[in-house]
Amino acid sequence: MENNKYALMPLSSSAITKHQQERTVEPVADIYETNDAFVVKLDMPGSSKEGIKLSIEPDRLSIRGAVGLLFNEKANVTFSEIGWKSYYREFNLGNGVNHEGIEAQFENGVLTITLPKAESMKAREITIH
Amino acid sequence: MSLVRWNPTRELTTWPSGLFGLQREMNKMFDTFFRGTEEDDAAFAAWSPAVDITEHEDAYVVKAELPGVNKDDVKITLESNILTIHGEKKQEKETKKENYHRVERSYGSFQRSFTLPTTVKSDKIEAQYKDGVLTVALPKAEEAKPKQIEVKVK
Repeated sequence: MENNKYALMPLSSSAITKHQQERTVEPVADIYETNDAFVVKLDMPGSSKEGIKLSIEPDRLSIRGAVGLLFNEKANVTFSEIGWKSYYREFNLGNGVNHEGIEAQFENGVLTITLPKAESMKAREITIH
Repeated sequence: MSLVRWNPTRELTTWPSGLFGLQREMNKMFDTFFRGTEEDDAAFAAWSPAVDITEHEDAYVVKAELPGVNKDDVKITLESNILTIHGEKKQEKETKKENYHRVERSYGSFQRSFTLPTTVKSDKIEAQYKDGVLTVALPKAEEAKPKQIEVKVK
């Protein structure tokens, strides 16, 4: 361990409060396309179904995820890479997405958002009044 | 207390490359070069999970972020006081590669090892997987006998 001293973050209990500030992390994402939808998968470990908020604006999809403290306050933090964090990320939405049909699912720390492709992508008739 | 076995590749992404960034990277290069064989095993893993380790009154607790990993694909082994969390994160097979617009998530095998203090009750280790986080609780004991065990993930 001697040669890894830079990697270690030994915290005394008094130092926890200083280091335990919540930070916002952008969750990593995979985006792929199927015949009738775009699918976004985000790694949000430690969050929960209840802690995640999706908001859909005309041109933007934003994802917020709360994560509880992973350790109780009495614990002595020996080593920390995860810490106390919350997730936030946003994506631009084009016209090609049917907003009403957007669905989301959270399983094993992964949020899967399905964005159905809009009918407006297809040719349509316009009535002349 | 010697509890942490460090995977150096992690450091690049998790530490802010501030004033001492270069120095840290140089140190890391030397560390990697002179490293022993145990670390070389981890080098074959595609990725390694982020970890928090806390010490409680009666136990050490290791938390590892394993989003999207099936709990049956997680293996926890203890051998000569080295706790290893390893396994594989399988890629969903539903789409062809050319339909991907963005791939940021990690797939494939992962591994992370830690040297435990000798005061762990190796037969009382418990693990739980929830919301993409693996929690391994290692109860403290007066003495521990070296042996290899496999811990079932609940």
